[in-house]
Amino acid sequence: MTATTVTARARERSVKDIARSVLKRQETGLLGVIIVLGALVSLVNENFLRKDNLYNVLQTVVVVGIIAVGQTFVLIAKEIDLSVGSVLALSAVVAGSVYRSGANPWVAMLVGIAVGALCGFAVGSVVVLGRVSSFIVTLGMLSVARGLTQLITGGLPQTMPSELSFIGQGRVLGGIPVSVIIFVVLVILGQLLLTRTVFGLRVTAVGDNDAAARTGGIPVGRTRILTFVLIGTLAGIAGIVFSTQVGVAEAQAGMGYELDVIAAAVIGGASLSGGRGTIIGAFLGACLLGVLRNAFILLALSPFLQQLSIGLVIVAAALFDQGRQGNLRHLSPKALRQRFLSRS
Amino acid sequence: MDDATPAALAVAGLAKSFGPVKALRDVTLAFPAGQVTGLLGENGAGKSTLIRLCSGQMRPDTGRLLLDGKPVSFDTPLEAVAAGVVVVHQEPLLIGELTIADNLFLYDLGERPAYAPARRGENVARARQLLDRLGMTDYLPDPATLCRDLSAASRQMVDIVRALSRQPKVLFLDEPNSSLTHEESERLFAVVRRLRADGVAVVLVSHRLAEVFSIVDNVIVLRDGTFVAAGPPDEIDEKKAVALMAGERKRAVVAEVAADRRGPGDGAEVALQLTGLRGEGFTDVDFTVRRGEIVGMAGLVGAGRTEIAEAVVGLRGVTGGDIRVGGRRVRIPGPGRAQKLGIAYVAEERRTEVFHAQSVGYNLTVRILSTLGRFGWVSSRRTAAAARDLTKRFGVKTASTESPITSLSGGNQQKVLLARALAAKPKVLILDEPTRGVDVGTKAEIYATLRELAHTEGLAVWFISSELEEVVELADRVVVVRRGRVTLDAPNNAGPQPIVAAAMGSTEG
Repeated sequence: MTATTVTARARERSVKDIARSVLKRQETGLLGVIIVLGALVSLVNENFLRKDNLYNVLQTVVVVGIIAVGQTFVLIAKEIDLSVGSVLALSAVVAGSVYRSGANPWVAMLVGIAVGALCGFAVGSVVVLGRVSSFIVTLGMLSVARGLTQLITGGLPQTMPSELSFIGQGRVLGGIPVSVIIFVVLVILGQLLLTRTVFGLRVTAVGDNDAAARTGGIPVGRTRILTFVLIGTLAGIAGIVFSTQVGVAEAQAGMGYELDVIAAAVIGGASLSGGRGTIIGAFLGACLLGVLRNAFILLALSPFLQQLSIGLVIVAAALFDQGRQGNLRHLSPKALRQRFLSRS
Repeated sequence: MDDATPAALAVAGLAKSFGPVKALRDVTLAFPAGQVTGLLGENGAGKSTLIRLCSGQMRPDTGRLLLDGKPVSFDTPLEAVAAGVVVVHQEPLLIGELTIADNLFLYDLGERPAYAPARRGENVARARQLLDRLGMTDYLPDPATLCRDLSAASRQMVDIVRALSRQPKVLFLDEPNSSLTHEESERLFAVVRRLRADGVAVVLVSHRLAEVFSIVDNVIVLRDGTFVAAGPPDEIDEKKAVALMAGERKRAVVAEVAADRRGPGDGAEVALQLTGLRGEGFTDVDFTVRRGEIVGMAGLVGAGRTEIAEAVVGLRGVTGGDIRVGGRRVRIPGPGRAQKLGIAYVAEERRTEVFHAQSVGYNLTVRILSTLGRFGWVSSRRTAAAARDLTKRFGVKTASTESPITSLSGGNQQKVLLARALAAKPKVLILDEPTRGVDVGTKAEIYATLRELAHTEGLAVWFISSELEEVVELADRVVVVRRGRVTLDAPNNAGPQPIVAAAMGSTEG
């Protein structure tokens, strides 16, 4: 009797708790920021809210966003991948040169993506077996993959197969870019993979509490390697999307993208100390970056100001996240009063 | 052991060493099925090592495990769990970002393929059923709650429920109630009684003796890695258990050194006085350290001793009470201020205190660099001289002050830390576990140095130690902390027994 009433009360409370926890999520705050920012921009320039412009905004973040899905997994596993920009270029260039050697365009594409996965596998294996920090290993891979890219192209752009150009340039269903659809599908799959599969829960366990994961019988090393394979594969897909957007695979493609990718994931609530992050958050983080860039263009503001503001957004998002976690209590008025006023 | 009840788990001739330290030597004992066995001993007696060896977290150097009479060996904790030997750890091993339900079925994540759906909704339903079956629904919030939002007691309970879900034959509870209130402990013990009725061998490690003795069928006492005694509680009662844990031979040591002990006398000036000090982990702490006096602080690991010391040197917040240094009320916001007030602190973990990549000389002088030069420049000549002087004064055995600190033995590194703290010529020296992992000879040298500084220069020494022998041997006065409060403050002349009794909260002894 008592048990049922207690449980019933617990359930009732949990509905309120769910509402509160939704409000406290990073994604909710992020969505709010995007909406407010969008509203402000559209007050000044009504072009912002036009369908074409919105698709355009999304299209500019597709490449960064797709990799950010993988980076979120990597960050949750308490690792980092700095090599994604180079791996993106390597995948695209390999696909282009395989096609030029006479292969079927689809085969060329799959080979390119497989090269990305292979890079991830190499990184993961060295990180796990060699016990080197992933920061260092992927810094190495950043250089190795870029070097390979230059070797393959000899500095010349590779023409991408025209059969694949619909991936980067095509539009369906009344103007929705194909690349945006690919992005959204990958985000949904990523979120499901993270929260609904054994693999996703293993990634969370490994990054949150390595020791507990180990004693729980989770294959910690294999899980880490697989997260690197995942981000490598996604970097490969992003490479195909990027090169089909412009029609050629260049050796310089994706330079510096690793920073935008990490920014998107972190703005979305992923923690560099492992365990926490969501794919939806990374999606919104990438969108915020896109909206900011677009806003600066529509408002005709200096691109330098744009760069500056993106930097501030990254730091503000990380601070907001710390506050949400209750890690900023030492800055509360009460704590500060105690620290400075009780001096005798 | 009673032959009528079969032993669920028995160990024979079990031994384990870590380097030169023998953590467990030739231990033979049994945990009978359908009984609750209390495993008792001080810190360092070998309880944790024994549990690790029994549960596959470590392999023994020699000796055998027998489960239901058959020899077994476990390479991993998972193998032990599969065989029915389950441990509930003092620090619950949970994934904070997953729900209670996911944590309860964490082993599934290792056993099922990576591509399989996680069945989290199903997990919640299974968790509710499991809690219902165990009659523990009211003990925990809804299983869909994230573990990071749970209280310490609830986290412990999740770990316990997870252990029970594996249908153990042998269940080790390693200080399961250290973070639980009395009421929560009672709930836990109700579960333990039911397990006993189901024929499980329950092994309970706890420092709350009164509670242990309210439930156990058997008591096993370990001391210094050896088996001391076993028997039912009417043979080994609480008082006798305390005596067995403390050990009789320590009394002989006391008699020897007591003659050498010259306290400072009541008239000595008070160097450091704490009045009603409160903070996270301790409350209403009152005690004083006089000039020339060596105060030994004893208590269990986690009792709040380190927290008090850290609060005094400003590493931790103080929420109430006074700190007086030389009679003057002071506020210490950080270790820099503490050093200016003449308080030096040597923290517990040598690994985190030493600058590993640097030389012996750097490690010795790093805190006094501002006195070895001017305008922010450091005189290398004066630094080298100071380092050489310190190595000589404190007998640090090193080839040169330029040698890397890592080339020194643990004992010599400890001397370097001591010398570094004393280089600033403090009036009060606070030491946390000053001789952990230090060999016997160096220990004696450190003791001699501390005594001499106290008795000739009037240095006030406050050391924290979990080694009872050390407290009994070195201290002029003993302060015992239990669960954040001072439970004993007395001259060190009564041997180890009152210290153990005060530390364990035993009413007898």
